[in-house]
Amino acid sequence: MSADLQTPPAAAPDDAAGRPDRSTGAWSLTWAGVRTVATLELRQRVRSTRWVVALVVFAVVVGAVTTLTFLASSSASATMSDDGVSVGRTMFGFIVFFVLFLGLLVSPTLSATSINGDRAAGTLATLQVTLLSPAEIVLGKLLAAWVASLAFLAVSVPFVVWAFAAGGTPVVGLLTTLLLLAVVLAVVCAVGLGFSALVNRGAGSAVLTYVTVAGLCVVTLVVFGLSMFLVSGDEEVQVNQLPWSSDLQFDDFGNPIGDVECELVTQERYVAHTERTWWLLAPNPFVVVADALPGGDIQTASDPMTLIRYGVRSARVGVQEPLEECWNAGDWEERQAEQMERVESSGAVWPWGLATLVLLGAGGVVVAVRRLTIPQATLPRGMRVA
Amino acid sequence: MSTPTPARPGPGGIVTQDVRRHFGPVRAVDGMDLVAHPGAVTALVGPNGSGKTTLLLMLAGLLRPDAGTITVAGVDPTVDGLGARAVTGWMPDAFGTWDSLTAREILLTFAAAYRVPAEVATTRVAELLETVHLADLADRPAHVLSRGQKQRLGLARALVHDPQVLLLDEPASGLDPRSRVDLRVLLRGLAAQGRTVLVSSHVLTELDEMADDAVFVSGGRTVARQTVEEATATRRPWRLRALSQSGLAAWLDAAGVPWTPEDTFAPPADVPGGVLVELDGEEAAAALLRTAVGAGVPVTSLAPAAGALESTYLALEEERR
Repeated sequence: MSADLQTPPAAAPDDAAGRPDRSTGAWSLTWAGVRTVATLELRQRVRSTRWVVALVVFAVVVGAVTTLTFLASSSASATMSDDGVSVGRTMFGFIVFFVLFLGLLVSPTLSATSINGDRAAGTLATLQVTLLSPAEIVLGKLLAAWVASLAFLAVSVPFVVWAFAAGGTPVVGLLTTLLLLAVVLAVVCAVGLGFSALVNRGAGSAVLTYVTVAGLCVVTLVVFGLSMFLVSGDEEVQVNQLPWSSDLQFDDFGNPIGDVECELVTQERYVAHTERTWWLLAPNPFVVVADALPGGDIQTASDPMTLIRYGVRSARVGVQEPLEECWNAGDWEERQAEQMERVESSGAVWPWGLATLVLLGAGGVVVAVRRLTIPQATLPRGMRVA
Repeated sequence: MSTPTPARPGPGGIVTQDVRRHFGPVRAVDGMDLVAHPGAVTALVGPNGSGKTTLLLMLAGLLRPDAGTITVAGVDPTVDGLGARAVTGWMPDAFGTWDSLTAREILLTFAAAYRVPAEVATTRVAELLETVHLADLADRPAHVLSRGQKQRLGLARALVHDPQVLLLDEPASGLDPRSRVDLRVLLRGLAAQGRTVLVSSHVLTELDEMADDAVFVSGGRTVARQTVEEATATRRPWRLRALSQSGLAAWLDAAGVPWTPEDTFAPPADVPGGVLVELDGEEAAAALLRTAVGAGVPVTSLAPAAGALESTYLALEEERR
């Protein structure tokens, strides 16, 4: 479409006059313009929907889940004689994931019918012919949708803070988690806006937005799982293990008697090269949020965020040779911890995921701006101008 | 009505030359030439689907023409879109309002969107609400407005940035008779200030009173151009009524004036009624009336049977068959 837009009309005689081509200033931006559109959208939305009811219902649901999580994790920790750290982190993880889940459900409804809805209502063209640039209209709509989804995040903040107060989560973790939630919601709003500019019918763009969200959250996981066999196979790898000999004797606990050194041997093993497929997991919003939270002690932690963080990071590191199977030696635990430490520090996944998500959102914005640029040279099938 | 200046592409106004635009295989606009002068109201007349709305979309800067040139107030909207939009007010045939906002908020939003300074906007919006008689509804949400009131709000919206060129697509649809009169007075006033007003409509009787020029389009092409004065002077049917329909017919036959019955199903009877006669403008009408009254025919009225533009329109339709 852009190529067409740049082409001067065939019969325009004075095109060579070199006049400034202001019609392509689709990206010119002023805060006043963005604010005008955002105010319009928010006013319209706040007055036309049962806004307060929606927020209260959201808060009640999150509150109920928080309370349940608190009760469940404290009773679990009582039986396992755990400390408060695990309770706090488990609770924090569950609540953040639940808020993220609800946010991913709510956000598409706020933006996915924004542009085609306005077109159907006959209010888009009247806005396009004003001096607002397409970018101002799109970013104003994005800002309004984002602010609305942040309202849902805001009512759940008290419960996230409650989980934080239960212990185990660093303050920085609380802040980065909330920030990432906000960014993820902005991305979903931007994707919805892009689809609403691309598709004529509101139902279509809403479905596409939900499919995208589901794709990020579920399909990434499924594809990662299914692609496992592609990167797995029998291979010669180095293994650190006890030498196998007939004069080795074991005590009642299965430990070798006497001083036996482990040695490196080459063996054929079934290994999974997840370092080739880890990126499939990266754009998953849950992975991004979990991976960015500074980790608890992986040796003892059982909370969802830490497990996901360790899981994706070891997936990214992949097969680590030599395989450590010298479990009979005294320093096994120490070496195991060392290896976990190495995985923890080397395989951050969230920057990649976050970058992918931000690019996706930016793509939505670019599509929307291009679709709103006037005068339109080609009209998509079935689309009315006004 | 003022005498329109002869056709010339001036710096202001609207000039289109051989504008074309297709949607897929449909040639919506297929060579339209149009001149709308500053200081005049120009009517864009044509049947449904003749390309009126598509032309207005191109003039408003929403659609790019496939070929041809457009200037609006001296600016080419395909080259300097922003410059053209700044001086153009456009009222589409079908449009929506933000139902939850009040009329005043909607107008203030558009004033901001047209970069009208806030302090100017407040007074301007208050004036416009008075002009379109919505001042008493200004602070009620727009969804309480009736169709005609929304139409008036749409007109105010098109005027919010004080445009030099006004493009109105079926502005009178849904308006009550009082509002139609107001619309006519408003548009005449805007034209008198030197603005260019282009009105598309197929309700021709009201355009007679409102417009100076008319451009007739059909099948995406300009088929005729006429001033309303010319249209008034052309030959068209007039309705002549008398106390005795049969007496009137007899006198017309005797005087050698061709006539057609108003009611084709019944022969003229000796009851009050009328017949249709073809006359060349008002001079001829006055002459006929003088003779009839002189001959003692009990004439009760003589008036054009159809509006001036309507007659031209129907004649064009006739020619195309």
